[in-house]
Amino acid sequence: MQTLDVISVNIWQILISLINLVLLFLLLKKFLYKPVKKILQKRKDELDAQYQAAADAEAIAQEHRQEWEAKLLTAEDTASEILQNATENAKRHGDRLVADAQEKAEGIIRVAQNEAELERRKATEDIKREIVEVSGALTEKMLGREINTQDHHALIESFIENIGEEDGGNN
Amino acid sequence: MKVTDRQKRVFIAVDVLLILMMVLPIVAAITLKVLTTPASDGVSITGARIFFTIPMPLQDLPITESQINSFLVLISIFGLCLYMTHGLKVKANLRRQHIAEWIVEKVETMVNESMGDYFKGYAPFITSILALSAFSSLLSLFGLYPPTSDLNIVAGWAILVFGLITYYKLKSGPLKYLKGFLEPVPFLAPMNIIGEFATPLSMSFRHYGNVLSGTVISALLASALQGLSRMVLGWLPDALASIPVFQIGIPAVLSIYFDVFSGCLQAYIFAMLTMMYVSGGFSLEDYLLRKEKREKRKAKNKKSKINDNLEVV
Repeated sequence: MQTLDVISVNIWQILISLINLVLLFLLLKKFLYKPVKKILQKRKDELDAQYQAAADAEAIAQEHRQEWEAKLLTAEDTASEILQNATENAKRHGDRLVADAQEKAEGIIRVAQNEAELERRKATEDIKREIVEVSGALTEKMLGREINTQDHHALIESFIENIGEEDGGNN
Repeated sequence: MKVTDRQKRVFIAVDVLLILMMVLPIVAAITLKVLTTPASDGVSITGARIFFTIPMPLQDLPITESQINSFLVLISIFGLCLYMTHGLKVKANLRRQHIAEWIVEKVETMVNESMGDYFKGYAPFITSILALSAFSSLLSLFGLYPPTSDLNIVAGWAILVFGLITYYKLKSGPLKYLKGFLEPVPFLAPMNIIGEFATPLSMSFRHYGNVLSGTVISALLASALQGLSRMVLGWLPDALASIPVFQIGIPAVLSIYFDVFSGCLQAYIFAMLTMMYVSGGFSLEDYLLRKEKREKRKAKNKKSKINDNLEVV
């Protein structure tokens, strides 16, 4: 079989090898670089998006933190205010309760007094009547005759009235 | 998106096809070599073997081992690149995707560093030079004829690079390019012209010479070792004496240098020189200046034309 010389130049062979190189260049460009770079770009986009999301989340967190810090700062004031309000409320409530109780007690006392007064009046009335009757009967017996009961009763009653009034003043 | 069994099977089938596309060209080349190599003992250093010749104008085209091998390497590299980019995902889970991304990014950084931003699009070209040159040289690991030890193959690449260099020199100013030949003194112009053509010549001869010399030294050494083992074992019976003891192992060590290291190094050097020459012959400032001037002139022409029209009206 024939062989080429060690150094041989052939235009067509040179041209074919040149075309081979260009062909490989085009193939690599289309089938290696294009897909790989597309994937790299996609990955970069995804990464950027993730970074953006992380930054957004951090910003939101920061915002919340500031908000809470501000809230914390005012919380003490709020707490003391609330406490004060509560104390005031409680005091007011207690006062009202006490006042109510007093009122009620006074009412009860008043009612009791009234009742006592009424009892007393009734008693006085009764006693008066009895005295009148007794004294009437006594006088009848002492005098031995029928007296004008009606006049007599009025006389005694006016007398006792005076006594009663004196008693009422003592009360 | 759930991966069904069927999709998985199709994926694996495509993978197998692509691996076959990578491997089969090499196997075919080896088969061709085994079938057509005549049995010979002596050391013979020749060029590529010619299979047949196609008559062409100017010069007949002999189809040689180097032609066929380089074409097979081309197919193999294409298969490799298809295999690597098969099943690319944003969340990479295949090692080949990592390798593909590594290659792409590495070459892009290299191109960016040594050529500048303007030549960003050169990355695939540099990759193709690297791949074609390295894989061609590495073919000698299989005992095949490395296409890079044929001057024609490397000369084709060097001429393409020369064309690119000249194109970029002309792009940054044809007058400046022509004037460059007359510097530093006009009578050195012939030297400058020779120097211009020396670039592709030196590039191609460097690459071709390195690979060829590796082959030559390997062949010489193999025969020398054969002689040595024959000499040492000469006193033994004939059947034993013909065993080339020293040819076992020692050529492999040298092959690491001459085939693997030298082949990869020459590919790297060729790519580096390409980048340096192409970007070195181009001046972005001059190009931008020229572009600006041209646009100004165009605008002026347009204005004067409009003025002419107005006058006519």
